[in-house]
Amino acid sequence: MLKDLLPRAHMQQVDHIETWEEAIKLASEPLLKADYIEEAYVDHMIASVNQNGPYIVLMDYFALPHAKAGEGVNQLGMALLKVNQPVDLKGNPVKVFLVLAAIDADSHMQSLQEISEILSDEANYKSFINGDLEEIVLLLTAE
Amino acid sequence: MKFLAVCGFGVGSSMVLKMSIEKVCQERGIDCEVENTDVSSAKGTDADAVFTSEELGQELENNVKCPVYPIKRYMDKAEVGQAIDKFFENGGN
Repeated sequence: MLKDLLPRAHMQQVDHIETWEEAIKLASEPLLKADYIEEAYVDHMIASVNQNGPYIVLMDYFALPHAKAGEGVNQLGMALLKVNQPVDLKGNPVKVFLVLAAIDADSHMQSLQEISEILSDEANYKSFINGDLEEIVLLLTAE
Repeated sequence: MKFLAVCGFGVGSSMVLKMSIEKVCQERGIDCEVENTDVSSAKGTDADAVFTSEELGQELENNVKCPVYPIKRYMDKAEVGQAIDKFFENGGN
């Protein structure tokens, strides 16, 4: 379940951040502190964007940073960072970074499906992108 | 009909793209099987079409036999739908 992988303690909001690399690092901090991931995973996520391009921007203003499953990941989890002022990710403005720490190819599928369902609703998508963190929490934890 | 959704690791983005393709095909009544995979595995996999990012698409184009359709926003069903429509307008190849 999404709310198990992404508890409130893994979610943060800041007004402004300089670069997308810093955003990924900050977004990952709750996972690092709780030992879900190692520093190496954060480096892998950043390297992936540099190597493979910005396709982690799944919709306008929404990015899903992740890297190879299991490498530097101890436990499946997610973390979210809301940035009020869009930060540039290789030509794409981003306001929500959702870090995915995957342990294998598919155990996170249900949670991604839940997010995909929630965001396919235009009104939900707008509050996800423009709302405060508490609105996002409500969206993601509503049944 | 078999489609491949490809990203760098075959874990997160390609899974989301697979969901978008399945949804779009369902809406159009298209019977399809969608597999998500990483870019190197994609090179050895048979499919009717590959959907991936522009950057990875350039890498894949010379390594797969089927057409490659670039997608910018993997979660954007309108964009994915246009690519699927284009695939069928091109006669399914």
